[in-house]
Amino acid sequence: MNWLSLIVSLFLTGIAGYFIARIKPSLGAWIAMAASCAALLLVLLGGDALPGGPAWGLIRFEVTPLGWFFSLLIILVFSTNGIGSLAAKGRQHREPVYTMLYLFALAASLGVFAAENWLALFIFWEIAVWSSTFAIGLGNGRKGSVSYFGMSLLGSLMMLFAILAMGSAYQTFQIREALTAALQNPGPALMVFILMLGSSMVKLGIMPFHIWMPPAYTEAPDEFAPALAGGLSKLGAFTAFLVSAYLPISGFMGGSWRVKGLPALSYGLVLLASASIVFGTLMAIRQEDAKKLLAYSSAANGGYIIIGILMGTSMSVSGALVHLLAHALATTTAFSVLAVIVRQTGTSRMDALGGLAHRMPLTFLAFLTAILSLVGLPPMLGFVSKWLILQSLASQGLFLPAAAVVFGSIGSMLYAFRILSTVFLGQLKPRHRALRESSPGVLLSLAILSGATMGLGVYPSGLIQYTAKIEASLGMSETVQTAGLSIRGINGNLNALLIMGAFLIGMVIAGVIFFKAPRSRKVDLMDTYTAGEFIYSPELYHYGTQFAAPFERIYEKLPSISRVYAALASLTDDLGNLVKYLFFSPMPSRTALWISVVTILLIWGEVL
Amino acid sequence: MIAYQSIGTALGMALFAWLMQTGLSGVDRKITARIQKRRGPVWYQNFRDVFKLLNKRSVTHGWIFDLGLLIALAGAIGTAMFMPMAGIIPLQGYDNFFMITYLAALGVFGRALSAGASGNPLAAIGVMRGLTQNIGYKLPYMVLVIVLINYYKTSSISGIAALQQVQGWSVLKMPLGVLVAFISLHGMLGKKPFDTYLAPSEVASGPMVEFGGKYLGLLNIAHEIAVFVEISLFVNLFLGGGATLAEFLLKYMAVYLLSSCLGAVMGRLRVEQVVRFYYKVPIGLTILQVLLFTLLYGGVS
Amino acid sequence: MPKKQLPSRFYPVKHEMQTVEAPAEKISPQQRAETWEKIAQYFRANSLWMLNYCTGCCAIELPLVMTSRFDMERLGMMPMATPRQADILLVTGYASLKTLRRLIYTYEQMGTPKYVVAFGPCAVNGGIYHDAYAVLNRLDLYLPVDLYIAGCMPKPEAVMSGFMKLIELIESGKATGWKDYEQRYEWYKKNQLEAVGEVFIHDEFHE
Repeated sequence: MNWLSLIVSLFLTGIAGYFIARIKPSLGAWIAMAASCAALLLVLLGGDALPGGPAWGLIRFEVTPLGWFFSLLIILVFSTNGIGSLAAKGRQHREPVYTMLYLFALAASLGVFAAENWLALFIFWEIAVWSSTFAIGLGNGRKGSVSYFGMSLLGSLMMLFAILAMGSAYQTFQIREALTAALQNPGPALMVFILMLGSSMVKLGIMPFHIWMPPAYTEAPDEFAPALAGGLSKLGAFTAFLVSAYLPISGFMGGSWRVKGLPALSYGLVLLASASIVFGTLMAIRQEDAKKLLAYSSAANGGYIIIGILMGTSMSVSGALVHLLAHALATTTAFSVLAVIVRQTGTSRMDALGGLAHRMPLTFLAFLTAILSLVGLPPMLGFVSKWLILQSLASQGLFLPAAAVVFGSIGSMLYAFRILSTVFLGQLKPRHRALRESSPGVLLSLAILSGATMGLGVYPSGLIQYTAKIEASLGMSETVQTAGLSIRGINGNLNALLIMGAFLIGMVIAGVIFFKAPRSRKVDLMDTYTAGEFIYSPELYHYGTQFAAPFERIYEKLPSISRVYAALASLTDDLGNLVKYLFFSPMPSRTALWISVVTILLIWGEVL
Repeated sequence: MIAYQSIGTALGMALFAWLMQTGLSGVDRKITARIQKRRGPVWYQNFRDVFKLLNKRSVTHGWIFDLGLLIALAGAIGTAMFMPMAGIIPLQGYDNFFMITYLAALGVFGRALSAGASGNPLAAIGVMRGLTQNIGYKLPYMVLVIVLINYYKTSSISGIAALQQVQGWSVLKMPLGVLVAFISLHGMLGKKPFDTYLAPSEVASGPMVEFGGKYLGLLNIAHEIAVFVEISLFVNLFLGGGATLAEFLLKYMAVYLLSSCLGAVMGRLRVEQVVRFYYKVPIGLTILQVLLFTLLYGGVS
Repeated sequence: MPKKQLPSRFYPVKHEMQTVEAPAEKISPQQRAETWEKIAQYFRANSLWMLNYCTGCCAIELPLVMTSRFDMERLGMMPMATPRQADILLVTGYASLKTLRRLIYTYEQMGTPKYVVAFGPCAVNGGIYHDAYAVLNRLDLYLPVDLYIAGCMPKPEAVMSGFMKLIELIESGKATGWKDYEQRYEWYKKNQLEAVGEVFIHDEFHE
């Protein structure tokens, strides 16, 4: 079993799935699930010692710990999403293509993570982008896939330019060789660094490249959104890791202009990521649609990852890796739950929903786990990553990014409460009284994801030790330390099990007092305080629209980045119109003028 | 592994927190009354309130309503178990600032969950206001504490308190910062002018609109323990902790009584006034303080 | 001249209360329950929370009782925002049709043990509104009243002494209106429906 055969078999299964699903559409989802689960088992059992396999022209694979971590993450996302989307119905017409594209996207991502040279990486990157573009297009509307492809094109072009520059300067396309050669003769290294990080930021959705996220996540098919949000955006983080780990940022910056131990360029990029966190959080608080809220939340979370990567200390890199996993698990869970809700109610607008926790309690619990992880509360995995990143920010003394991270944490409580309270809590509308719990397949996938979030959050030592191994393989001098159950930080220790233990003791005490006190009687949701008035329609008593209005009013006048893009687009439009007016006009006299001018110039050039 | 006596000390800390703070909040009611030229209740009135509430039969809106409140109290107790006080450190080596902040935030989230599960829109509005205020006062506070952590090179609260015994109180190094932290503390305690989230006439006590009986009793206990954690954090980080228990308690009571006196003479602000205030004055002072601190004690190389 | 006997509806009915005989010697479960009950009554009596919901003209006396001159907080009483949180329902005015519906609805939303204190003569026999077409004269038939405070309207001193009497009644176990409501629920409901027709109005176009 080697990586090449794994990828090739996934591609072939995708093609086979296309043909089988044309005959019987419902088999398509089963094939996607089976293939991704098989891949998960193979990768888990093989470990990071899986051989890369024979070379196939340019395409050579090499499985590194970093690559294995990312591959495991993405296969976990795709397989649980595959299990969860077995229940989806009503998409017979697009099932064959969807199955094929799903497996192609998975296989291509695996190719990216184990590629041994830049060209192979780029080829598989492009395959992943193309597959997901068409997969998004299978949903509702076209704007999503168009904006996704447009921004990804920008990122891919930046990456291609960087790859070709490295290739021509260092005469090699091998990843490790090229990057270590860049340390010796810095030449184009600065530009390569900026371009590669730029393409990562496009993929992760950092401001100002985040504009593809809201339309893409909203219009993607409900079953594809978890894989897109949880899995495919992590491709950007992978290249960012590669570049900033192998190109130690102190090496080629010449040592000038440092801020608190970080080179000025890295600090500038960290500030950009911080702005993305603040901006993403603020925009997420304003949204009326649950999917858009989660999209902006993903943009904000990308900022945490970039900050962790660029700071380069042992704890921050470990924190970035853990945050990748936490964010992937949480976002996949959240989007899967939203897929269930959209299937059953037909809408994802938050003020049209409400009280759903009383109809689907287990789904609600899974969603609660995901949201707690996104906010970063113990005992979930999101807390461990936030702790690591904040500790390293505090020890480095980067106060402005620390302020942004703090703002992101606290602000995320606001939009997390918004989505919980408007979708799951609050008044249940009468037309939703007939909703049922999700199907067992969905519950299984949600259980795996929430279980992983909570389990790893309580016992992260194994995960942290693996991140230490990744750091060592990337050549970092010091790696994050664990001692038994606790993570030894620079300024303090974290023992997640102890925190959970303290919380459980508190829960026991609270439970004792609670059950000793007199029993309460259960009343209906509509039997509530109304200052003595009698109320009749639950729709009017659900607080959902313009949720944080006093806060939103402070920043609702801020300009949005889309206006900048629109301005650029209209500028290009004007330029094109000018050229068309000058050179392509239907009036023959203008064409004759240009012909004569060019002829005169040619003769002049010939004569002189 | 953590020894059993540490868990015992931790639980004792939580119990002491509740007992002391409940008595002290009764004293707060007495002082407020005296400022208003009346007598006020006895100092142990809040104990009577809590036991009365725990003896009342009330209503519930479902399992999420119950669970949220249990999470709130569990979060508060869990946080108090880690809190060091004047040399008594229940769980040595694990009391770092970020952990305490996030565990306390779990308690707040539990309360929010319970409020949302009641189905009353007034509860959701109250929680939204509370969380909005939360951003306003937590941001400058945490930035200042991160500056302190960077300066003292440790994020353990007992460590910072111990260092201050030797190097002098933080208030001498960042006076503006302590002022900002006090304003944030005033907001965290929920005292006027910042108690918008539970305005009784406007949103009918906000998140607590459907709480009664044992729910209100548990919430009361959780609130008192959370107040203990917040004030102890302020005393440990900014006022030098305490070499002895008496010194710590003296500082604690001074901070709490100053806060309650201020609360007794001010009126309540509207929520947009609160937000606008927090985004101008404390953040401006924080930026100024961080710049001053960086210039004086370390900086851009 | 013989004293005119008013119709019976003007005289409040005294309800018989049941007492429990405590056994003599060792602490039986009943005695233990009684001791718990006494402790609970101490807490309930000294920490009464009133609902900030006042129905008519007598309500004007309440701010006076709450504020600095007469300070009811020294008795442990505090105003609370919602019926879920409150112990006492103060009926401070006449019970009209619309008001009585909402009073009953609010009373049923409160948690037990709960007490009703009626101010003035309007709850006893209709007071000065006894011949109005929309006023119901005896509150006692619809809600169990624990204490009446005399006066039209009662002065703050009278209100304070009334509250102190209520505390005494609770501590001695005599304020059992809520238990009576539970036990004779059908009787109260019958009276309520006879008087107001329906407590929870069936749609939003009626009052």
